[in-house]
Amino acid sequence: MRTFVVLAVFGGGVAHATLGPALRIADVAPDIPLIVVVLLALRRGPEFGCGAGFLAGLLQDAASGGLLGVQALTKAIIGFVIGAIGGRLRVSQPLVQVPGLVLLSIVEGLARFTLLKLFRFPAPFGELMTYVVLPQALYNGFLGAALVFALAWAESHRERVS
Amino acid sequence: MKLRAIVLLGAVAAVCLVLLTLQMRGKAAGASDLLAVVTTPVQSALARLNRTTVGVWSTYREWKNVRAENRRLREEAQRLRVEALRVSEMVEENQRLRRLLALKAALPLTTLSGEVIAREWGGWVRSLTVNRGRADHVTRLSAVIAPDGLIGRVVDVRPGASIVQVLTDPASTVGALVVRTRTQGIVEGEPRGTLRLKFMARDGGGIQVGDLVVTSGAGGLFPRGIPVGRVRAIDDRGSALFSYAHLTPAVDFARIDEVLLIVGDGAHDVAALFPVPAN
Repeated sequence: MRTFVVLAVFGGGVAHATLGPALRIADVAPDIPLIVVVLLALRRGPEFGCGAGFLAGLLQDAASGGLLGVQALTKAIIGFVIGAIGGRLRVSQPLVQVPGLVLLSIVEGLARFTLLKLFRFPAPFGELMTYVVLPQALYNGFLGAALVFALAWAESHRERVS
Repeated sequence: MKLRAIVLLGAVAAVCLVLLTLQMRGKAAGASDLLAVVTTPVQSALARLNRTTVGVWSTYREWKNVRAENRRLREEAQRLRVEALRVSEMVEENQRLRRLLALKAALPLTTLSGEVIAREWGGWVRSLTVNRGRADHVTRLSAVIAPDGLIGRVVDVRPGASIVQVLTDPASTVGALVVRTRTQGIVEGEPRGTLRLKFMARDGGGIQVGDLVVTSGAGGLFPRGIPVGRVRAIDDRGSALFSYAHLTPAVDFARIDEVLLIVGDGAHDVAALFPVPAN
């Protein structure tokens, strides 16, 4: 399990910049580390979610060549919050997963924009939301739900086998 | 919620903000370098993996495309081969019809063009069925010719077709002469599908292999001068009453598709209208 977590965090953070472009649809790539952090936080709680978010975000920052700490902080917050309130959410339903991940992606985008704005990020808010944050949030929603479904299927299959 | 988690979040936030502040002041190059030491090899490995995967996928897709293209090209090639055969067939037919038309126009006879619609090629009977019959005013014993020479005569006229007895039919006889020696004789068909000239002449009458044999016009059935064949071999029987010359027919009966039927008066010398190929 630990190996899986390390691979998920590390692989999610670094693979996003390398393999993410391969998953591009109409120039929109999913934020794989965000999905991975959310999944881990739901399972392991706020501390793990916060740590995983920080690590994945930091590696994502490093891999993408952006400002170190921006995504580390936003993803750490997302991981912490989801880890803290995840127990009270019915996250096993796709009708919750898709909109939930869309909403989280938008919140993460807003948080990132706010943070970057503090450090003099020049991009206009409207265009960033229209062309980057919202399409990516939608993509994250559906990809995340598919991943949740795949994981649930894999676990039930493993249980049946064992 | 545990205090430890809140402290962790606070610490993480503090580290991030410090990192961001240091970067904005240009003092965090070391942190980036340190992370790059970890991330760069992994990124390189993943990029290689990605390239390999994409390469395999691209190769597979290209292979599929090539296979589809190959199938399409095969079908195209087959279609074009059939088309080429059809065109070639049409060109040949066109050439044959042109020759026939030229002969028809040049002949001082009333002729009717016809198409061979059936062949009887057994040893007992050798005949062609032509798509011209009683309705076209074809009469029995009409001569049938092709641009290369004589084919035979009409032996049966039906409403929409005529049966042509070919020269090689065992019952066929045609008055003929050897052009070079003017030796007269009768060309007969043989059961094995060959032709022979039966003639009365002492010591073979000077006939040589390669001599051209044409219709003599005797009896008025066939116009005079239509090529019948060339002497292939001479069967000199010395003092016997008849000698024989075996002939190669002027017309390849097995491959003839279009013919001319002479429906009017046939008493003409048409030798000049048939080009005599060099032997």
